[in-house]
Amino acid sequence: MSGDYSSGRGGRDTLKVRLFVLFVIIFSVFIVYSFHLYSLQIVQGGEYRQRARDVARREQVIPTQRGEIFDRNYDAPLVMNVDSFAVDIIPAALPGSIESIVKDLASVLGIEEEEVKGKIPARYSNYYKQIEIKDNVEYEKILYLAEHKEKFPGVVWKSKPIRKYTETGSMSHVLGYVGDITREELQVLYNKGYSPNSELGKSGLEKEYDIYLRGEEGVRYNTVDVRGRMIGDSSSIEKPPVLGKNLVLTIDRHIQTLCENALGKRIGSAVVMKPSTGEILALVSYPWYNPNIFYTDNSSSYFNELSLDSSYPFLNRTIQSAYAPASVFKIIMSAAIIEEEVFPEWEKIDCKGNMWLGDRIFNCHKKTGHGKLNLKEALAESCDIYFWTVGREHLGIDKIVEYSRRFGFGQQTGIDLPGEVRGLIPTPAWKESTYHTPWVGGDTFNISIGQGSLQVTPIQIANAVSMIVNRGVNYVPHLLKQVRNPVSGEVIEEYKPRVLTNSLIRKETFDKVQDNMREVITKGTANVIMTTDAVEIAGKTGTGEVGYKDRWTSWFAAYGPYNSDNPEDQVVVVVMVEAVNEWEWWAGKATNVIFQGIFADETYEEAVEDLNLWYLRNNRHPVSGRVE
Amino acid sequence: MKARFNLNFDFYILLSVVILIVTGVFFVFSSCVASDGSVVSNEYVKQIIWAVLGVGVLIASIVINYKKIQDYSIYLYLVFLLLLFITLIAGNKVNGARSWLGIMDIGIQPSEFAKIATILMLSSFFAQHPKDIRSLRTFISGFLIILLPMLLILAQPDMGTALVYIPIFLISAFVSGSSLRHILYLFLTGSIMIVLTVVPVWQDFASDNTRKIISVIVNEKIYAYILIAFITVTTISLMGYYIARKGYYYWIMYGSSIISISLVGSFLAGKVLKTYQIMRLIVFLDPYVDPKGAGWNIIQSITAVGSGGVWGKGFLNGTQSHYRYLPQQTTDFIFSIMAEELGFAGSILIFSLFLVILVRGIIIIGSANDRFGSSIAAGVVAMFFFHFIVNIGMAMGIMPITGIPLLFLSYGGSSLWTAMIGTGLLVNVYYRRYRY
Repeated sequence: MSGDYSSGRGGRDTLKVRLFVLFVIIFSVFIVYSFHLYSLQIVQGGEYRQRARDVARREQVIPTQRGEIFDRNYDAPLVMNVDSFAVDIIPAALPGSIESIVKDLASVLGIEEEEVKGKIPARYSNYYKQIEIKDNVEYEKILYLAEHKEKFPGVVWKSKPIRKYTETGSMSHVLGYVGDITREELQVLYNKGYSPNSELGKSGLEKEYDIYLRGEEGVRYNTVDVRGRMIGDSSSIEKPPVLGKNLVLTIDRHIQTLCENALGKRIGSAVVMKPSTGEILALVSYPWYNPNIFYTDNSSSYFNELSLDSSYPFLNRTIQSAYAPASVFKIIMSAAIIEEEVFPEWEKIDCKGNMWLGDRIFNCHKKTGHGKLNLKEALAESCDIYFWTVGREHLGIDKIVEYSRRFGFGQQTGIDLPGEVRGLIPTPAWKESTYHTPWVGGDTFNISIGQGSLQVTPIQIANAVSMIVNRGVNYVPHLLKQVRNPVSGEVIEEYKPRVLTNSLIRKETFDKVQDNMREVITKGTANVIMTTDAVEIAGKTGTGEVGYKDRWTSWFAAYGPYNSDNPEDQVVVVVMVEAVNEWEWWAGKATNVIFQGIFADETYEEAVEDLNLWYLRNNRHPVSGRVE
Repeated sequence: MKARFNLNFDFYILLSVVILIVTGVFFVFSSCVASDGSVVSNEYVKQIIWAVLGVGVLIASIVINYKKIQDYSIYLYLVFLLLLFITLIAGNKVNGARSWLGIMDIGIQPSEFAKIATILMLSSFFAQHPKDIRSLRTFISGFLIILLPMLLILAQPDMGTALVYIPIFLISAFVSGSSLRHILYLFLTGSIMIVLTVVPVWQDFASDNTRKIISVIVNEKIYAYILIAFITVTTISLMGYYIARKGYYYWIMYGSSIISISLVGSFLAGKVLKTYQIMRLIVFLDPYVDPKGAGWNIIQSITAVGSGGVWGKGFLNGTQSHYRYLPQQTTDFIFSIMAEELGFAGSILIFSLFLVILVRGIIIIGSANDRFGSSIAAGVVAMFFFHFIVNIGMAMGIMPITGIPLLFLSYGGSSLWTAMIGTGLLVNVYYRRYRY
């Protein structure tokens, strides 16, 4: 700049240049600022509007109600929701010093101070979301908090219904229980609308039909100012809550109770099923647990106690436990023998009480021998010698395996409960790969009478018997009957029976097997036990060795009425009592009571009275806790 | 008489100022309205009183012939230096700075009015030195005039207000005809010093990409070596200049001393800056370092501005402001609430009004009757311009938070009156541009 600016008016031109420079500077700042404003307000305007909305919006969850569960009578719920309260805090609304409020709150709720403190985030003064401090809080405590509201700024409560199981006995295995979602479960279920705050069914039907039961939480948005106070009537329901749907089960709770009491305090299980549809009328497994305790404060200690219990109360023995079917398997053997025509039904085999295979002696359960028996008599007397001989010499292991499969063993029945096991059909190939030893004749002997490695679940047996009743068809066993609208009670979905198996076995074969099973009751081993005259029963006993010297697993698989014109009336009953029980052979006696109860429409006590089972009069379940 | 009155008066400025002040009152009112519609503060009433009384002040500062003030400028200046000194000792603390003087609710911020007194003093000084205006001596003397009030205000501490004196001096000197190399020297030294102060802070807190050039500044050992090197170069070239009188020695010294002073200055600034000031610099670079704390103001302000869109949310309908997410709405962030409620359209209108005032200001500088007048006008333009850049830049997130008001619009009597006196002086200078 040459600038002679020094004196008076002489510097005007230079001043003009300098003023122009000043103008350019000022003008460019305005251009830059206008452009930046344009980019903020117009280019990114939408984004900032969203941000302005988010900063002032608080999401509030509107709780929903889980569906209730009814038995088939649809008169009183097996599970319902009872009002309960949860105490929350809004950290930002807490006073500056939280020490005293934490202390007071902890003492009111009866929990440790540390537990409260641990839930308050470090920068709580800016944290507006509600944090749950404790759920399942008694009404009196909520009243206390409400009365001393000024002492507890930032403490709020909300309704949080909890599950109440009205039937606390064997229904626990069927219904299951509910719990907070775990991180692992959330990873799997995230796309199905579960959130980290979700509760979900952990077992039983609560788990299986969680999708129907759970409902959807609603969402409400409140507009709040910078201090978290709600603004006017700005609350808007973004999403109304959807109530969980009610379930109606195929279970008849009277039959369930009957079975429960008939089984008594013996570790084992009972299944009552309608063969014409696969509907399960009762599903009992003992021991059980009380799911209501999971909703109390000492739930974790109860849970641990149950987990460590050697009788496995969490195990649903009807579907989650497989056993050797023992003589019950002879039903399947009979069907195979008749259908395959490998050995004439009328031809007799002489039972001398034992037989030799190589250098091993095999004893029939009747040491003195049954004498000469045809198939019908062999089944009635449950003669081992007959089935050993025919099984090994005429039928062969391949056919036994084939028929086991045809009757559904080694496969899941597809019952609508989680955790069903398959059981096991031993085959030569299986034995080779598992034990690295070849299949021998003794193995065929074992499987011929339902022993050895053959393992089936009670529900599989019930299903196999159903196939015999239906003469070749059976249905997927199920517990769900209807899904109903929780408010109107209107049926939304009706469970349609689904065919599980449609067997190619001839109907005449099944007729003969039915006939033979009837013989078991009228003339055979079960004759003395099956004293009920309420219905004509056909069935089969089973008594298995499990290694205990003096104890036996006891099975009874039966159906009735035998030979009915109306298949709707027929029921299949399978009772299984584990060998750990001191009083063996119980299964048949329980079955007898169950049939009496169902067909004479009697309670357990009445059935016991009618059957004159004097020794059972005080057998009733003390822990079942029901009011009748 | 009437025709000449029209010709002489700068109505553009007056009209723009009136519109701005009235708009300001409306938005101070808007800030006083809570989310439920109730009026929670009477600040807008006070602002109206200030504005009405301010009209008298404005008229007074137009009517009094500015030329007659020239001789008294030194006394005015000394009075305000004294007031600033008293403020420092006996003032009331507001927002951490001892900047208020007064009893009970009524009080003034001497630092605001001191700007006018300093502008007058500086202009008077420049006007008295027409012959040696280009000399370094005059430049340094002028700088000392602004340095005194500036240091007193810096001690309050009110960095934002203190910084206003720099552009006042630079533009006044620029317009009065100071040597460009001196102006540039000061400008470059100041700018480099700011950059060197900010970079290490940014390095410490916000940056994840370390560049070598930055580590040179950050590492204290290397820093010391560089400083010694530049001081040596400066000393040698200074000696060379005095011995050989060669031009290039001068420029070497010029450049190296700028860097030396900036290095020392930034080092001292790094030591002197308070934690909250450093935090302001950090959140300016990245507000999300501390979104709920120091970064909160910037984030909420940008959100308010951005959410305004084209046409705004409408008067009294801003959510950021009425739900109180926006802090200090009546003072520092008055523009944010306006941008939120008036949108881009309204904001550009506000911009235009300021642009009119500043462009008219430049014309007034050019048409002033004497050096005193043009320098006054330049100082006022500089003051208006700097307040605009810093306050609106802060609201939009492109300037660090310094807490200086937006003149004419922000709530506050002292700043409003200062702006009105400044306007009066502009009109005054323009009105007396001819010699009769």
